[in-house]
Amino acid sequence: MASTTSPSERRGIPAAAFVHDVQTFLTQSNYDASTALVALQDRLQQYKLAEMKLLAQRRDLQGKIPDIKKCVEIVATLKSKKGTGETMKVDFELAEGIYSRAKIPEADSVCLWLGANVMLEYPLEEAMKLLQSNLENATASLKVIIEDAQFLRDQVTVTEVTIARVYNFDVHQRRKLRNQGKKEAS
Amino acid sequence: MQQGDGQETEVTWEDQQNINKFGRLNNKFHELEDEIKAKKEMAENFEDAGNELMLTDEEEVRYLIGEVFSHMPKDEVETQLEGLKEENKEELRKLEEEKKAILAQMAELKKILYSKFKDSINLEEE
Repeated sequence: MASTTSPSERRGIPAAAFVHDVQTFLTQSNYDASTALVALQDRLQQYKLAEMKLLAQRRDLQGKIPDIKKCVEIVATLKSKKGTGETMKVDFELAEGIYSRAKIPEADSVCLWLGANVMLEYPLEEAMKLLQSNLENATASLKVIIEDAQFLRDQVTVTEVTIARVYNFDVHQRRKLRNQGKKEAS
Repeated sequence: MQQGDGQETEVTWEDQQNINKFGRLNNKFHELEDEIKAKKEMAENFEDAGNELMLTDEEEVRYLIGEVFSHMPKDEVETQLEGLKEENKEELRKLEEEKKAILAQMAELKKILYSKFKDSINLEEE
């Protein structure tokens, strides 16, 4: 954590409040230890769920980035062949495990699949620009997701530590009571 | 994090932040381990590809660009491969360095946290 003032929320996810003193926390919130533990566990579950969602998004993006890079690579190759008069000879996959040979004469444009059943023909330069900006966007969102995940991780840790502290506090209280009871009995 | 035997040690915000930091570093450490593993595998693959190239008699080999195998002269592929190898090696070196830095930071935090919380805290992997 960079600063002492940590954000109170991030993207609508509230930060876990740090408990300075367990006793004060319990009296202020009017909880006994077991209800406090239930509430905290509940919170923890919510954080964990949000974390799982984020991690899934992250995996998605991390898979997408190499795909975009592949596209950039092949467009770059086509671009470098432009003006040389060379024909590219390639083996490409027709179906799983079946390959055929193709000759690609010097090309000025490629067709990019935009999704939603739309394919558009672009001049190589423009295709490259579009792919590069896609790559930048994906990398930027990945960065944000990683930061979000770190924030969530912190909240999970704070909540876990708080749970352990409330639990310990409770054990301690019970022990005190028991010892008192013994003293009175003797 | 483990629930102790009920001994009370006051946990300050600073302690909490240290624990958070440790958690983050530990996460990062595991991610790095995975990345390093992947890069090492990559290096092996490059090595294999290099050896195969040396053995082949063909002047033209197929080189994977994007999703297609492009027919390319052998020596051009060799240069490409060398470039990729170097790049991979450099990336691997950076990752290893980062891992070392993280381990050092983790050791530092462990010292601080264990000296305060003794066995009320557990920072080891399960």
